[in-house]
Amino acid sequence: MKKRITALLLAAVLVMSLLAACGGQQPSASSKPDGSDETPADPSTSAQTVGNFAVPEGGYDGSAVTIKFYNTMGANLRAVLDAYIVEFNKLYPNITIEVTQVGNYDDVRDQISTEITVGNQPHIAYCYPDHVALYNLAKAVTTLDSMIDSKIEVKRADGSTEILGLTDEQKADFIEGYYNEGKQYGDGLMYTMPLSKSTEVLYYNKTFFEANNISVPTTWDELEAVCAKIKAIDPKSIPLGYDSEANWFITMCEQYKSPYTSASGDHFLFDNDQNHAFIKKFNEWYQKGYLTTQTLYGGYTSGLFTATNGIKSYMSIGSSAGATHQRPAAGADGSYPFEVGIATIPQVDASNKKVISQGPSLCIFQKSNPQEVLASWLFVKYLTTTVEFQAEFGMASGYVPVLKSVGENAVYADFIKSADGGNFISALSAKVCLEQESAYYTSPAFNGSSTARDQVGSLLTKCLPMTGSNIDAQIDKAFQDAIDECEYNT
Amino acid sequence: MVDSKQQWKAWLYLAPAIILLLVFTVWPIFNTVRMAFLENYSGLKAAAGMQFTFGIGNFLKVLEYRRFLQCLKNTCLLCVLTVPISTILALLIAVALNSIKFLQKGLQTVFFLPYVTNSIAIGMVFAAMFNVVGSFYGTENELVVTAGIINNVIEFFGGSHINWINYGSTYEANMFVMVVYIVWNALPFKILVLLGGLQSINKQYYDAAKVDGTPRRRVFTHITVPLLSPMLAYVIITGFIGGFKEYTSIVGIFGENMGPPDDAKRLNTMVGFIYDALETNSQGRASAAALILFGIILVVTLINNQVSKKRIHY
Amino acid sequence: MSGKVTMQEKDMQQVSAQQRIVKFAVKCMVYLFLIIMAVVVLFPFYWMIISSLKSLTEYRLSVPTFWPQKIMLSNYLEAFTTASLGRLFLNTMYVGVVSTLLSLVITILSAFAFARLEFKGRETLFACLLATMMIPGELFTITNYSTVTQLGWMNTYTVLIVPFLVSVFYIFLLRQNFMQIPNELYLAAKVDGSGDLKYLCKVMIPLSLPTLISITILKMMGAWNSYIWPRLVANDEAHRMITNGLRNAFTETTGDVNYPVQMAAVALVSAPLFLVFVFLRKYIMAGVSRSGIKG
Repeated sequence: MKKRITALLLAAVLVMSLLAACGGQQPSASSKPDGSDETPADPSTSAQTVGNFAVPEGGYDGSAVTIKFYNTMGANLRAVLDAYIVEFNKLYPNITIEVTQVGNYDDVRDQISTEITVGNQPHIAYCYPDHVALYNLAKAVTTLDSMIDSKIEVKRADGSTEILGLTDEQKADFIEGYYNEGKQYGDGLMYTMPLSKSTEVLYYNKTFFEANNISVPTTWDELEAVCAKIKAIDPKSIPLGYDSEANWFITMCEQYKSPYTSASGDHFLFDNDQNHAFIKKFNEWYQKGYLTTQTLYGGYTSGLFTATNGIKSYMSIGSSAGATHQRPAAGADGSYPFEVGIATIPQVDASNKKVISQGPSLCIFQKSNPQEVLASWLFVKYLTTTVEFQAEFGMASGYVPVLKSVGENAVYADFIKSADGGNFISALSAKVCLEQESAYYTSPAFNGSSTARDQVGSLLTKCLPMTGSNIDAQIDKAFQDAIDECEYNT
Repeated sequence: MVDSKQQWKAWLYLAPAIILLLVFTVWPIFNTVRMAFLENYSGLKAAAGMQFTFGIGNFLKVLEYRRFLQCLKNTCLLCVLTVPISTILALLIAVALNSIKFLQKGLQTVFFLPYVTNSIAIGMVFAAMFNVVGSFYGTENELVVTAGIINNVIEFFGGSHINWINYGSTYEANMFVMVVYIVWNALPFKILVLLGGLQSINKQYYDAAKVDGTPRRRVFTHITVPLLSPMLAYVIITGFIGGFKEYTSIVGIFGENMGPPDDAKRLNTMVGFIYDALETNSQGRASAAALILFGIILVVTLINNQVSKKRIHY
Repeated sequence: MSGKVTMQEKDMQQVSAQQRIVKFAVKCMVYLFLIIMAVVVLFPFYWMIISSLKSLTEYRLSVPTFWPQKIMLSNYLEAFTTASLGRLFLNTMYVGVVSTLLSLVITILSAFAFARLEFKGRETLFACLLATMMIPGELFTITNYSTVTQLGWMNTYTVLIVPFLVSVFYIFLLRQNFMQIPNELYLAAKVDGSGDLKYLCKVMIPLSLPTLISITILKMMGAWNSYIWPRLVANDEAHRMITNGLRNAFTETTGDVNYPVQMAAVALVSAPLFLVFVFLRKYIMAGVSRSGIKG
């Protein structure tokens, strides 16, 4: 036994001394990806160059390239995408798009952050802002500004031409909040293009609201009154269920215009008086039995909302893309026990609405061959600016198109027209989302922003049920803990 | 006496295993050690060409985490509680299964079924068993939608439901759930191994005992357990190693929160800490934590070996 | 033991009646214990089956139902048509069988060396091997990924099979089993002049059949459940494995998984595996034939 310990110790010492010998050298640095260590071209040499990618003189030269595209699309969305890849190839036959579905969003992130270490990353990927912040550690994401602003003409196979960048009309067609999501990385540069979006909406039991003559709350003050009223009618109910605690906290910061995080400088700013105040208010509401959240409830709050007996809730705030989950199960005759209404979530200031912007964007990765980057851009541009694709993709997914003009598309307009609180609940949800187009916001993204998100979520959860005389002190402590965890993890 | 022919033959037999281990296990471990000693190492930053200085900063950073001791305590506690319980239960089941005649085939098949159950299903079940769904724990406003099967059973026998994993649950209740879950998860594998071991025991021993009229209990303690001791040692040692690496089972029940809603990370373990570090691509810190964990497991295994050496009957 | 002596002096018939009652009670206890444990262990399997028969709405209810309100056999139809189960199944079978066979050979040879052959540094080497089990495998991912990329193994069956062929876990298990086999048998074989390999095949392997089958089962199930590594290194249509295919096929647009249909698919692809296991069970339970071996 002693021998064995000595052997192991010896091995450890050997390893240590080896390490000491090679100091900070990194064997893996030699096997670095060919794309990611490319130094960005000097901005002063060309007026075209903003950020880390310089558009080559002739733009896309028609060369044959294969573009790898990672996403999370299930079978139904994949069919829509494939149809438009065929259309795209009619314009650019030399660009082959290879689509790979990589599990869910977290899987895409884990996969790509491993692949980047050997330079194997795809060309295009579904992304959330936090993911891009992570990839940016390796400087692996291409900034899009130089391509967006490029006026170089590109020839298409059908004989027509287009400019490489976005025209002013195209830029103006994007819903502003969605488009700006690409610029929240602290340096003002554009890293992503929005593909399809979702947000949070307020689902309410329309049948119940109408029967009891309750109007839909537009502000938090009105919501409080509505909750009190519902409690009076049905004491054995939890009037409101809120799915995501983290979204709630971040949205409240945005609505109150109080600091949450910053992409540059001091990152974690959410420990402030305004935020303490709204936490305390919600704590009081929770004590009165007005609301619950997914974690506190211990199950999907939509389960509470769609319940037809026992304990019910009459309002539910959840993802606009999950509308079908907020619909009660149909009876034997195909009719629904109650009608669902959908509205914008309550606001602090009804004249300055703020709702969170979620859902996938697309980012383009660095590659040693600039033609691959250009080809990727052309495809990303095609998906994000083609009205027909946006319309069809929106209808198939329950997500909202990112272009304003999709509303004028005949097929999509019909879809929106069919909106109701039963069979066409997805259309109703999309309609509400489109009507609040000026209200979308996104929060800063940096390495650690996902930790901040997790922390404020559990902070809110923790504070709601607090009781006792020293609530203020408990809330202060919870904020301090959250800040500590955030600081530790960066 | 070691004859030289056996020497090279042994290495020949071991060659395939050793070559593969060198490439896919030893080299990564070496890399782990390297990353642990490079301050703030991150794979993605390295891909961007960043250089890191040599030092022990990662280890200090791990030790200064305010919940480090909590992580360590949870890890050890889970290990110490689950390994003996699951081993004894598995042993009893294996022996019982081996001793019966009527229904033997049917029951054996039943104990094989867990192997064709998808791991996702196992996670889902637990929510149904322990989760209290509702709102307002501990106040007169309490609205409980469902209390979970375990609580239904408790209530059936006249008790009142216990808050196992939800808001306001106690550390002891959380731990109890984790122990039950881990033991339950570990059972099928241990039963399989021990059953295989039982079958390798020469029937002559039992025949001899039968002739002598030795009572069951004595057969169990004097024949079964000693003859099964190599397999028991195996189950215990791998159980400890697995126990120290406990993480996924906690996520399975408490989610990424690693604790009840009011005390996130309360049940975090050493490996959970490693995952947290990987989340922000801090491989340096993750590696340092892994080496600390490695040191702990090594000591425990050495002690374990020392103890079992005297007791294993080959 | 003293009771036994006095018993023999008493009326034999009365004793045997009493004994029979005790024996019966013990039997009942044993059965009761086994049945309770069986129910406990089986619960997830039951849950998998009923989940596969629920609608997504029912699956999401706050109060889980223990029997589907409406049995949705259509989930099975959807599972069968949505995912290309055939291809996924064949890929997984291929990887599972090949890696199990190769792994068995490597494990048997190594375990034999550790259990029977005397060589310098045996104990130390074995301790080092055990030590490798103690580092969380997740830390290996990046290094191994870079290794297989440099070897040019991306998107091949090789990359799914080779990196995990050696399992210290199984070598350890089999070594424990081999050590139980009396050394006299080995020495006798040497005297007879039969080589190591012949001895291994004729004596050790048959004697450790239950353990070898256990390893086979575990290894096969490993192939069935592996997810992260295959996704990373071979996620193309031609090599995709079952769990990856299933997770991908039934992901809802919101990123949620349609669990009922996924469970149906899991149940479908597990069925053949289950039959194989039931067949193998006979070999574990039948005990080892010891004819020709004089212990």
